[in-house]
This record gives sequence, structure tokens and C-alpha cells, in this order.
Amino acid sequence: MTLKYLLPLSIGALLASSSVFAKDKLTISVYSFAQDAYKEALYDPFEEICDCELVIETGNSVERMAKIEANAANPVIDMAVMSSHDALALARKGLLQKLDTSKLASFNDLYDAAKDPIGDNMAVGYTFYASSIVYRSDLVDIKSWGDLLQPAVAGRVALPNITGTQGPLTLHMLSQALGHEGIDFTDTINAIGEKADDIVTFYVRSSQLAQLMQQEEVIAAPVGRFAWSRFSGSDLPFKWAEPAEGQTGGMNVMLMTKGNGNEELAYKLMDYWLSAEVQTRVANAKIDSPANSKVEVSADIADSLTYGADLINSLNMISPDDIIDNRDSWVEQWNSNVIQ
Amino acid sequence: MSQTWASRVILSLTLLFLIGPFFIIIFAGLSAGSTLSFPPDGLSLKWYLAVFSVESFRQSFMLSMLLAVFGTLTALLLGVPAAYAICRYKIPGAETIKLIVAAPIIVPGIIVGLALLRYLVVPLNFTVTLALFLAHTALVLPYAVRVVTATLENLRTDIEEAAILLGCTRLQAFTKAVLPNIKSGILAAFILGFVTSFNQVPVSLFLSGPGVRTLPIDMLAYMEITYDPSVAALSALLAFLSIAIVFIAEKTLGFSRYV
Amino acid sequence: MAILLSEAFKVGGEWSLAGYADFISKPLNRTVFFRTLKLGALVVLVSAVVGYAAAFCIVNLEPAKRGRMFGLIILPLMISPVARTYAWIVILGRTGIVNNTLVGLGISDTPIRFLFTETAVFLGLLQLFMPLMIIALISSMENMPKDAIAAARVLGANWFQVFTRVILPLTREGLVLGGTLVFTGALTAYITPAILGGSKVLMLETLLYQRVNVSNDYVSAGIIATILIVMSFGANVVLRRLAKA
Repeated sequence: MTLKYLLPLSIGALLASSSVFAKDKLTISVYSFAQDAYKEALYDPFEEICDCELVIETGNSVERMAKIEANAANPVIDMAVMSSHDALALARKGLLQKLDTSKLASFNDLYDAAKDPIGDNMAVGYTFYASSIVYRSDLVDIKSWGDLLQPAVAGRVALPNITGTQGPLTLHMLSQALGHEGIDFTDTINAIGEKADDIVTFYVRSSQLAQLMQQEEVIAAPVGRFAWSRFSGSDLPFKWAEPAEGQTGGMNVMLMTKGNGNEELAYKLMDYWLSAEVQTRVANAKIDSPANSKVEVSADIADSLTYGADLINSLNMISPDDIIDNRDSWVEQWNSNVIQ
Repeated sequence: MSQTWASRVILSLTLLFLIGPFFIIIFAGLSAGSTLSFPPDGLSLKWYLAVFSVESFRQSFMLSMLLAVFGTLTALLLGVPAAYAICRYKIPGAETIKLIVAAPIIVPGIIVGLALLRYLVVPLNFTVTLALFLAHTALVLPYAVRVVTATLENLRTDIEEAAILLGCTRLQAFTKAVLPNIKSGILAAFILGFVTSFNQVPVSLFLSGPGVRTLPIDMLAYMEITYDPSVAALSALLAFLSIAIVFIAEKTLGFSRYV
Repeated sequence: MAILLSEAFKVGGEWSLAGYADFISKPLNRTVFFRTLKLGALVVLVSAVVGYAAAFCIVNLEPAKRGRMFGLIILPLMISPVARTYAWIVILGRTGIVNNTLVGLGISDTPIRFLFTETAVFLGLLQLFMPLMIIALISSMENMPKDAIAAARVLGANWFQVFTRVILPLTREGLVLGGTLVFTGALTAYITPAILGGSKVLMLETLLYQRVNVSNDYVSAGIIATILIVMSFGANVVLRRLAKA
């Protein structure tokens, strides 16, 4: 027991004696992905500019949301990045504060879709991603979202689970391929249910999918562009499909927790993160695609990102409202018709 | 003769099943390629070396180590007297106490973790580290009580009665006659508890604060980002560490005498 | 500690019977419940059979070897379940060792799909929890009077009789402890069913996570938690009965 308390104490004493302890702190919650690259492109330079200390909390979005909700009365997290529908879910629970966009110098340079993605200026988009199908070009050819349910890939295809961000996106596109309209996915879910035995798994993480495809367990699956580098760098011939129905996609946004008391620093970070300078650096590191329309990158870099107004405007996205309003019923239908 | 032979076959097969995957992990960690695979694509030590360059692994390793050691010791301090009381004094409701003590094993970790976050960390301003410590102690306590109880129940009561007849107090009888005889049980409880705590995922999932994260959670997070063999390499290193612990336990405590 | 434990139940504190009825009415929940029960029982059964054989062999080794064996048995427990589960992906995969052997020997024409099946989850759980059973059995066997078996043999008992009349009654406590640890372990394991079963082979624990994670549905989560608790207490009682019979 003594040792347990002595150790933190002595570390605390060490910290207190150095200047680190005296600096202002900003706690942010981010996706755990590419943290080393982020440190170089964003965190380190920011700490230098603001003369403050960034505390980074990572994890998957659900854990991070649960923590923000649990700490609502006394926010630990000041600022967070999330998918647009997760942000909307938080906003509906009254956990977010309205953003003063005049404090964001680059606001007017953002693509229109990123300016007020969930309404009421509760969030602002900082990156877009396309979603399509990755496939083994030596074994199959994918020309439509409908090909996912064709015999050519039976027993070797994976779909994203309904619980993840990619799940509803896939249903959306598959519905179009099967000739249905709107966001009533009942028929599409039934169609998947009939073919459930032909589907290797309903994956949860794109890293898991990458592993399954490397092991040749799976030869075709829908995935977000942010994971493309896991495939493009492989020795196996992976290809990014351009299906007849087009690509789908989504947006990640920045938000601020209500009453965090650290607004000034949080705006500073958001402003810096959205600036053309940082967005270019992040893009060139192939981490996140820019939401700032002033960012210019080489053709090679653009190829691994979701880049440019034309592409972004062509994405068949689902509105965050539709996702939050319908997700429970989708999960319900999915659970009773697909996973049996 | 044939009996020894049969025994060898049984043990070899059991060990192959239990430890085989461990060798696969060692070799997968030695891969020169960039994904987890077996047989590995060429041999290289680079992933083993890579483990040491990940700073968060070092931090989370220390945290997990401290939690496992002190959580388990605390659990034993509480658990051994509890087990003794359950076995020796026919206290009313001993069965109920056993069940209550066993609860953290049975209550799914995510519920325990979330409960701690919601009811201790948030309203009472407990630090995440303290909550983790409590959670891990509670998690290990059932193992301590049950393993020690099982050992005590097989220990004949006349040893301590003899000690008392020879002039020992109850406490002396416990420390001099009972404790040495249940050492193996306590050791087994410690090892079980240590391991359970060290590898615990669900309870710690919600109990990670900025900069405070247990090793398995860190590994899971790392695995989400990159899918290279360094996680396999790290697991292999941890396994080597545990071999060392067992080896030292054997050399200093004469582990096998109690087994 | 008591407060802490009671808090653990409060998350799902607002249950009513209507919630349970609703829960049971969903076919998915029933499938998952019976699958969990089945896999849990199978893992206990197989690990008890193998465990008795292995524990008996180990107890009868000479002391030096016994210590080493004990070390080897607990070794897998020291390895992170995350890594051990990933090892099974490498073993059972389409191009894994098992499939390469099967196809190489001509036993099967095409690779068999093991991943994301109940078989994979079963193997993963068995490997994860069998050591607990072996340790519990060793621990109780070491306190068994050594001459009991010899006496029984002298008196003309065959090995089956020795097992049922001598070993089993004397190691009852170990079997109950091991069985409970293995069963509750299998019930509440998360990583193994999550990675090897995925969303196609849901178990109660993975279903619980899904309820919490996706829809913040603490009512279902509380119901599942209650079911899990009742199941493991039930297992304890059943094993005790079985051991006495």
C-alpha cells in the first residue's frame, strides 16, 4: 500500500517542481487511430503555440461518448471529435454547447457540408471520408453494391455490422442496388438475412477486416476510405470499387462539451486544426482528408484521400438525423433477421 | 511402465493445446512481414524491439503491474480471514457471504466498470486510478476467498486444536499452525488473482482516464490502430516475464512442495 | 466493498417483469441464451474430463517435475486473452495451420470455414479456462490421502471404481470450484466470443455489450447481467448436487 501511494506522490513532486505542472491544460477526446502522426502534425506544434499542455484521451466512439455522458455535470473532456451522428446523439442529450463560429478563422473556407452538419452550430466538420467496397481484383470484379450478395463472393464476403458507422452506409447503398428507395431498409435486411450463411462475418473494426483480407478469409467488403492505406500497401492486389450506384461516405466533426470552462483553449485548438496549414499537414500524412477547401495536395496524396469538392459532393451520405432516429429499429430488424 | 507412458501422452496433448498457441504468438512476433501470420514471413526481431519504443506500453505496463500486485495483496488481506471465518466458525449465512463475495466474478465487467464510473468516480471525485484499484481488488477477492476456502476445507481442524491445547492463542494457532499449511492455497490464490487482474479487460474498459490505462486496454487500442505483429511480440514478452515469476517462485518458495 | 457491490447492481436498477417478458419474446435473445448455456456447459464438461486426467498425472509426478508442470499449466493464464484469441485466428484461418494440413493431406478439398463459428468460440474458451479447472483439481487432489487409491486398488477396485468412489468424492470441492470458475469464466468472457464469434455467434456477454454500446439500453443490459448471475449461481448449485450424487 505504502509503495502504491509513494510512487504517484514522488512523481507528483517531480512534476510540481518542473514547469509542466503550471501550464494550462486542455483535455481532448479523439479516435485512437494514427496518434503518432497526429502528435507530429497537430499536438506538438499546438502545444508550442498555446504554451499549454494537451491531454489526449482515445478510445472507440461509444466508450468516449459514455464517458462524456457520465461526466456531464463536471466535464473532464473539453473538446472531442466524433462521427456526425454520434455528435448529434450527444447534442440531443444536451451535452454539447453551441459553437461561436466567429472564433474559427477558417470557418468560411470549409466545404458547405462541414459548416453546420448537425444543426444549431453544435458541431463543425473537420474531415470527410468516402466508403466503397475493397476487393481482390485477381479473384472477383465488383461493379455494383449488389455484387456483395452474388454467388461469386459467397462464403468469402464480409459486411460491416449494423452497430458500426459503416453498417447503415452499406445498407443504404445495397438498398439502392436492390431497387429500394429511402431509408426503410426492411427488404434489404431481409435479403441479407437470406444470404447470411454466405457472409463470413459482420465485422466491427476496419483493422479486423484488414487482417481477414490479408489472410484471404475475405475477398470483398465495404470499408471507409480512411482504412484504405491498410489495403493499398499490401502485396495482394486490392482494388477500390467504383460501383454503379456511386460511393457513400460520412463526416467526422468537432464538438465542445457543455460548461467545460476551458472554451478559450478549445476554440484555439479547433481554429488551429481547421486551418489550411494543419489540414494540409494532416492530409499529406495521409491521416484525414481535409474539410478546408483551401487545402491543396498532390495527385498522389489526393488518391489516398477523399479529396475535392466534386468527390465530396458526390457521396451518398445519410443524414445524422436519419441515422439516430432509425438506428434502433435497424438493429432490431437486423438482429431478428440476419443474426440467427 | 505403461501408466507412465499414458500419463506422458495425456500431459503432452494437454500442454500442446494449452501452450501451442503461445508458440505461435512467439513466432508470429518474430515475423519480418507486417501482419500477424504463421508461419511468419521471414524472421526478424524488429517487432520485439518496436514494443519498447511505444511509450504508452511502458506506462500502462507499470499501472497494470501495480494494480495486479497491490490489488491482489489487499484482496488476500481481506480474503484469508474471511475464508477462515467461513470455514471454522459456523457463522450464520456463510453460504450467502460466499455468494456475495463471488459477485464481481459473475457480474459482467462492463457493468462493474460502468457502475464504478457512475457512482464513484463522477459524484465522489475518486481518481480513476483509485477506482481501478478498488475494481481490481473486488475482482480478485472472490478468487482469494474461494481458493483459500477450498484449501482450508481439506485441512484437518485438529492441527489448530492441538496448537491451542499446547498453549497457543487462537491468533497464534492461526499464524503458526494454519497459515503454513495453506501457503499453497494462498500462493495459488495470489497467482490466480494477479493474472486475473493483469489481464482484465471489461472492468477497465470504462475506467481509463487521460494518461491512465491498463496494459490490455492499451493493447486493444493499439491493435485497433495498427495490425502489425508487435502485439504478438508484447504478449510473448509478457509470457516470458511470467515464466520468470513462476521460476523464481519455484526457486525461492519451493513452489512445487505446495503443489 | 458492500456498497461497491450493491452499486454494481444499480445500473440496471429499474427492472420490471415487463422488461423480462419483452426480452424473452425476442428470438435472438433466446438463441443467444441457449447458445451461451450450451457452450458454457460443454467447456466445463470437456475441461473436467481432460482436467481430471491431467491433474491426476501431474499429482503423481515426482515433486520437481510437478512444480514445472504446474508452471506450464498456469503459463497460458499469464498470457493476455487478447493475444491468445488472436492466435486462434492464425490457427483456424482459411490459410491457417489446420486448413493447410487438411487440404495438404487431401482430407478436404477446400479450406473449411472455422472462424466465426461456434467451434472456434468453443476452442477459444476451452483453451482460456481449462487451466483453472486443472489448478482447482490439483489443489484438491494434493490434499487427498495418497494411500486411499492404493487401498482401493488392493481391495480390488478397478480404475473406474477408484475414480467414482475414491477420487471424485475426495476432490468434490475442487471440481465445484473449478466448474464454477470455468463456467462463469465462459459466461462472462468478452474478448473470445467477440473476436472468434463476432456478431454472427453472439453470446450473452457480447449481446450485453452490444446493448450498452449501440443503444445505451441499460434495461436489457441489466436483464442480461441478471441472467448471467443466475446462471452461474445455478451452475454452482447444480455442480454441487452432481458432485454429491
